[in-house]
Amino acid sequence: MVPVRATFEKRRRAKYISHLDLMRCMQRAFRRAGVPIWFTEGFNPHAYLMFPLALSLGCESGCECMDFRIDGDMPMQEAMERLNRVLPPDLQILAVAAPVRKHTDIAFADYAVRLDSEQPDALRTAWDAFIAQPEILVEKKTKRGTAQVDVKAQAEIQDVQTAADGLLLKLRLPAGTSVNVNPGLLTDAFLAWLPEHAPEVQTGTVHAERLAILCADGTPFA
Amino acid sequence: MNLFEKIEPLLLNVQKPARYIGGEPGSIMKDKSQIKARFAFCFPDRYDVGMSHLGMKVLYAVINQRPEYWCERVFAPDTDFEALMREHHLPLYALESLEPIKDFDFIGFTLQYELCYTNILNMLDLAGVPVWQRDRGESIAPIVCAGGSCACNPEPIADFVDLFFLGEGEEVDLEVMDLYVKMRDAGATRSEFLKAASQIQGVYVPSLYDVSYHEDGTVKAVTPKDGAPATVRKRIIENFDKCPAPESFVVPFSEIVHDRAVTEVLRGCLRGCRFCQAGFLYRPFREKTPETICEQSKKLIDNTGYEELSLCSLSTSDHSRIEEMMDGLLTFTENEHINLSLPSLRVDNFSTGLMNRLRRVRSSGLTFAPEAGTQRMRDVINKNVTEEELMRTCKIAFNAGQTSVKLYFMMGLPTETDDDIRGIIELAQRVVDMFYEMERRPKGKPVQISCSIATFVPKPFTPFEFHPQDTREMIAHKQKILEEAVAGHKRIRASWHFPETSILEAVLAKGDRRLCNVIYGAWKRGCIFDAWSEHFNYPLWLEAFAEQGLNVEFYANRPRPYDEVFPWDHLDYYVDKAFLIRENEKAKQAQTTKHCRLQCAGCGVTKVTGHPCFDYSKPLRDLPEALTS
Ligand code: SF4
Repeated sequence: MVPVRATFEKRRRAKYISHLDLMRCMQRAFRRAGVPIWFTEGFNPHAYLMFPLALSLGCESGCECMDFRIDGDMPMQEAMERLNRVLPPDLQILAVAAPVRKHTDIAFADYAVRLDSEQPDALRTAWDAFIAQPEILVEKKTKRGTAQVDVKAQAEIQDVQTAADGLLLKLRLPAGTSVNVNPGLLTDAFLAWLPEHAPEVQTGTVHAERLAILCADGTPFA
Repeated sequence: MNLFEKIEPLLLNVQKPARYIGGEPGSIMKDKSQIKARFAFCFPDRYDVGMSHLGMKVLYAVINQRPEYWCERVFAPDTDFEALMREHHLPLYALESLEPIKDFDFIGFTLQYELCYTNILNMLDLAGVPVWQRDRGESIAPIVCAGGSCACNPEPIADFVDLFFLGEGEEVDLEVMDLYVKMRDAGATRSEFLKAASQIQGVYVPSLYDVSYHEDGTVKAVTPKDGAPATVRKRIIENFDKCPAPESFVVPFSEIVHDRAVTEVLRGCLRGCRFCQAGFLYRPFREKTPETICEQSKKLIDNTGYEELSLCSLSTSDHSRIEEMMDGLLTFTENEHINLSLPSLRVDNFSTGLMNRLRRVRSSGLTFAPEAGTQRMRDVINKNVTEEELMRTCKIAFNAGQTSVKLYFMMGLPTETDDDIRGIIELAQRVVDMFYEMERRPKGKPVQISCSIATFVPKPFTPFEFHPQDTREMIAHKQKILEEAVAGHKRIRASWHFPETSILEAVLAKGDRRLCNVIYGAWKRGCIFDAWSEHFNYPLWLEAFAEQGLNVEFYANRPRPYDEVFPWDHLDYYVDKAFLIRENEKAKQAQTTKHCRLQCAGCGVTKVTGHPCFDYSKPLRDLPEALTS
């Protein structure tokens, strides 16, 4: 039994696969690839597959993780090659390694966000005013209904750049099983704030990409 | 032009966006520069329904096997995405290339139920293709075509479609594409191509037929022109066992209705139930050998990675070598953690041997379709199920620990009386009684019999095509009787629907070409997704009828004499009208007809195929129990 942590990318068309659907998609990929994945024991055995951190729908990533165990003596490099042959081109495994960190070690994730606009300077001014507020309260879905959180206190804004076609942000947000903040929480709050405070600014699409999954000490999870 | 950049910004604002972006494993990508003709295979309903349909997977595989052709998938967008598409001028596109289908060579619809017709108009309109055939001009592309079971009476949508495929499409689709490429490269116009295509067996070009009417609104004559054949005969695959079957499916990301590998085990049906259109349309009965079935199933599982395999046919238990087939399938599915599911098993031939094999198959409650509550009624419809057989099967199920059984019935059948309706609940009660008489009945959960009662829709090419459908009032009366009959029976639940959907289904199934204007009017008024109760808007349909000076009663509730010209009489599905008349007469006397394996009823099929459907010299005792009674 060989435990494996695979790092995979989820881009373009594959961005729209929901977390639940991704699980099913990967299980079927293992069968197509002929990779002997370990099955759980018990009454209703199923392929053991773990995704330590969910990615929100529409978010791109090159650093997603998936844990599984090879039940047999197939080298993990071969498993990766076989899987990549049967996975869609927008959903490919980039690396495999033995798992080192525990799932509960995950503490942060880094994101790059691009807010499209034909008025980048006006958007920048609006963003600065938005983020200068003492607190930014948003409704967040939790296991027990919704709660108010101050997303400003949780987000570390590492960089803001004005580009020709919009605004580029780099964010570090809490991640993991206990607290998890998606970049959409902040950008949605901004887009909701705009019409009232800067009605002249028109915005387009929001692109988000997860850049890294990090442990509390700032080192990469995988 | 790839529409990815235009599609993407809309996706996060709609439900289940994965349905609209393609890229699924098994979807076939090709290099456009190497392609001679492109086919947009359109399912006129939502992705989750269309992706569950086997016929689409078969033709997708058949066309894509040819390197010079590229078949892609298209589904009806849900209303939230449609609104965004219209707002942002995003034309309907195919899921593989993400390119607009109006630039394709063929736009083909599969017709699985009549209530999808407004979706066809809506999809053409979303694509930017004129909905009326006459408005498409003389440039050859795109050719709008359609096939599938409703093509047996295509008249209600005849004015929207360039050509129909009658019968099985595996061969004729490619023949038409070959002809198209040849003629297009020689500079042919649309009408020149259609004229030439009408000479291929299985191709019906409605614009080459003039329909005239009597004063009372019935059809006087259907007259071919420009050399089109007077009758158009459907196509079938002669060697079904060797016919190409898909080796892989597109495996969806999002959940669909039937998300599993499916192998077709047989085509046609030998039973001859008189209400069942499929049973007549797909004749003759042909089956694949257990070897072929196992090989194809295994390949499908390997290539799709599915964890579940299902068998598809009108009546799987009628396979002449079912036990061999089951043994073969169970051997590999159990080794590989694959669930095997078996829909369309018949109650009358549930042998104990089969039941023992089934016990190894995961099953979510048993469903049976006696179709009618009394023996007399079952004889009328030629559903050869006796009460004894139903009881025996339920007992097997109860012995196996099941406590809930679902029974399917119809109401509004020819010759039906109020007693036949009450008979439904009485039959269910006898199943309940039998349960409580069992000494070793399952303990714990109480027994529950659910009866689902559908309104009967008479369909073309069945012995009941002559019959009027019950009127709304008659159906309401019968539903009231059911309500009274079931009151006080704690262990029985009965459910039925409002009859309006069934009425519209009957009208569209037996309608003529004048209904094109009605369908257009209904769509213009906003009718789409008529098969979904949350969208179905009957008053709007009635308005569309009234606007054309037509009414539903003429189509649904009028008995049709044997000598009337029916709108579909110029289409030949191998089954003779004389045979349908004989069967209808026998129905009136409650006389049954034996199934085809026991005795040929002379339906007309052999006149075309030139040989008997079965080898009757083979002794019956070699056949499974199910087929010998
Ligand atoms: S020709 Fe005879 S055996 Fe064949 S389908 Fe018709 S009735 Fe059945």
